[in-house]
Amino acid sequence: MANINIDAAKTNTYDVIVIGSGISGGWAAKEFTEKGLKTLVLERGRDVQHIKDYPTTNKYPFEFEHRGELTLDIKKDNPIVSRCYAFKEDAMHFMVKDKEHPYVQEKPFDWIRGYQVGGKSLLWARQTQRWSDFDFEGPARDDFAVDWPIRYQDIAPWYTYVEKFAGIAGNKDGLPELPDGDFLPGFPLNAVEDYFKGVLKSKYTNRHVISARCAHLSQPKQIHFDQGRAKCQNRTLCQRGCPFGGYFSSNASTLPWAAKTGNLTLRPFSVVQSVIYDDERGKVTGVRVVDADTKETTEFFAKVIFVNAGALNSNLILLNSISKRFPDGLGNDSGVLGKYVAFHNYSARISAEYEGLKQFATDGRNPAGGGYIPRFRNVFKQETNFKRGYAAGFGASRYMHRDQSGVGETLKDQLLHGELGPWVVSSHMMGETIPKESNAVSLSSTKKDDWGVPLLNISVDYDENDELMKKDYLAQLTEMFSEAGFKKITPNTNSQSPGLDIHEMGGARMGHDPKTSLLNKWNQLHTCKNVFVTDGACMTSTSTQNPSLTYMALTARAADYAMKEMKKGEIL
Amino acid sequence: MERRIVIKQVLILAAGLTLLPSCLKQQGKSTVLLKNLNVSLDQEYILAEIAETLIPKTDTPGAKQLNLHLFVLKMLDDCYENSDQKKFMSGLGQFEDHTHQLYNKSFKDLPRPQQLVLLNELDHQQDIVNDLSVFYKILKSRTIDGYLNSKYVMTNLIIWELVPGRYTGYFPVKSA
Repeated sequence: MANINIDAAKTNTYDVIVIGSGISGGWAAKEFTEKGLKTLVLERGRDVQHIKDYPTTNKYPFEFEHRGELTLDIKKDNPIVSRCYAFKEDAMHFMVKDKEHPYVQEKPFDWIRGYQVGGKSLLWARQTQRWSDFDFEGPARDDFAVDWPIRYQDIAPWYTYVEKFAGIAGNKDGLPELPDGDFLPGFPLNAVEDYFKGVLKSKYTNRHVISARCAHLSQPKQIHFDQGRAKCQNRTLCQRGCPFGGYFSSNASTLPWAAKTGNLTLRPFSVVQSVIYDDERGKVTGVRVVDADTKETTEFFAKVIFVNAGALNSNLILLNSISKRFPDGLGNDSGVLGKYVAFHNYSARISAEYEGLKQFATDGRNPAGGGYIPRFRNVFKQETNFKRGYAAGFGASRYMHRDQSGVGETLKDQLLHGELGPWVVSSHMMGETIPKESNAVSLSSTKKDDWGVPLLNISVDYDENDELMKKDYLAQLTEMFSEAGFKKITPNTNSQSPGLDIHEMGGARMGHDPKTSLLNKWNQLHTCKNVFVTDGACMTSTSTQNPSLTYMALTARAADYAMKEMKKGEIL
Repeated sequence: MERRIVIKQVLILAAGLTLLPSCLKQQGKSTVLLKNLNVSLDQEYILAEIAETLIPKTDTPGAKQLNLHLFVLKMLDDCYENSDQKKFMSGLGQFEDHTHQLYNKSFKDLPRPQQLVLLNELDHQQDIVNDLSVFYKILKSRTIDGYLNSKYVMTNLIIWELVPGRYTGYFPVKSA
């Protein structure tokens, strides 16, 4: 390693340290470097450079040894990550294997991780919806968690700010519960998605099908070309990394942008062990890093630390940052650090068939994935026996049926001349879960990883509210499907564990009161003003939206605030 | 160099073959590298014949030309439980025994009409669960997978697009 520790304080000092290079860390890097601040981004995994390090991106299905399938050995070695839809032969190199980074499941929890530059921003499902005040006001109105210290008007300009740069395809739908953004043209609904939209409009007052809003360049603008990105080519092979930069990722967008400023130092293979609190100076001064390969420890220093390690890993780092002043984890006077973890309830789906509109099919591929049904339960008032509600995906497609019966020339002919089947529709729920003290992560007192960091104990479970909500989702969707004349309606509850939604949130929640929360309205630790947490760990509640867009907006907003405070001399 | 070619030719002759994907394999062993399965060259030819009977050469290539039997073996070797692998090999043995009983010949040496009769018979008995049906199901489904996912089919017959560049939600089709 180049970092010999002789005059470490001088050579290892930056203006800002960002822990993590995923979707929020990338934004922090962009914001600070653009404004001229020397920024060190620490990434525990290897470097993944845009295009160059996407080894499978241009492969045809027949170029994969097992045509995309996982081998039995890989499945058996990786029962957890194998349950993730994206863990296939084409993208498994971007995902953490079970044995590489163990954790303690006090209750079943599928922790899906991507330890590399770009993190899970390479792999995400790219769905991007704004929150509204119906979401931010949830905890206060329905009496759970703590009140969010921000409202829609606080974050709205920052949503616009990140949307313009990232490129979000969507339509102006005019729904108060799902505010419109600064959109590129939306991807269209298909014939049956449109039909279902019409049915809901005629039968219900507040149930809508909209084109799923997604981080794809449907029609790039100059700001996207300036990033070296091009129009989305409808490949829908996104999990491999996109050679066009057609979807937003740290690798395609924020990190190269930050690098161009000359102010970025990106340091892969840097496992952050803890944030350093200097008891004598009474402030956070830097971070302690263990080299992933050599295990050598190095300290880096900065005026401001952004913690963007991914929701649960940010909790882990804070919990492991022990000092005299903070014996229970950095900023954890309240004792709530690691608690009130929540996620999205993805445990039900429903599918059906539709015999109509057979004069149409689809051609090409839709990167948005189809339609999105914003939350319609308990939005304007409480109307069910459970709290909160769910959004739902909705998609329709027609499959080519290739008759596999028989043998010989007949079989061959059948295989080559398939027949389009009926429209198949399907939906999955994305339910809000209620953060609870008992849903928590903590440090193992006995087990450490290869880098000397305690393993994370994860104790997160569904509750009665989730069960009631799941029942309601299936009942309501069954009713809506029936209204549309869909047949063979097949509800499907699965027993998937929390975590597989890959929307774990909370543990270092935002709030007004230092006694009940870790972070203030600027994502700043109440008690360490130069430490900010702007990834999923900050979330006070989960609502139903896919969370990444909100992390991006919160990060840009917090970075702006941090820089203003630095200028004012409030952060030194 | 010369010597190598001669050795190759000798091996080919010794095995009584006209074509081998790899000629430097241990004699009598399968030509595809397998970790778990023990497949003889003879068995491999039988599988090749069955696959070819399922998806024969017409005016377009058949299973043999696309090496689909080797794909079946590769998938069986890497993606199936040991118990399924055993059933598959046992089913293959039973199939050959059955063929010998009926025709006193190996499947691979039968004329096509008799091959078709035998496979049709298996095709109609898929509901019976035994080693023979496990063997046939895996072989047939993986032959079909391999075919539909083959370079030839994906680039000539049912074109798979790497870069579609479009999406149409109202694509007119004949509503049969």
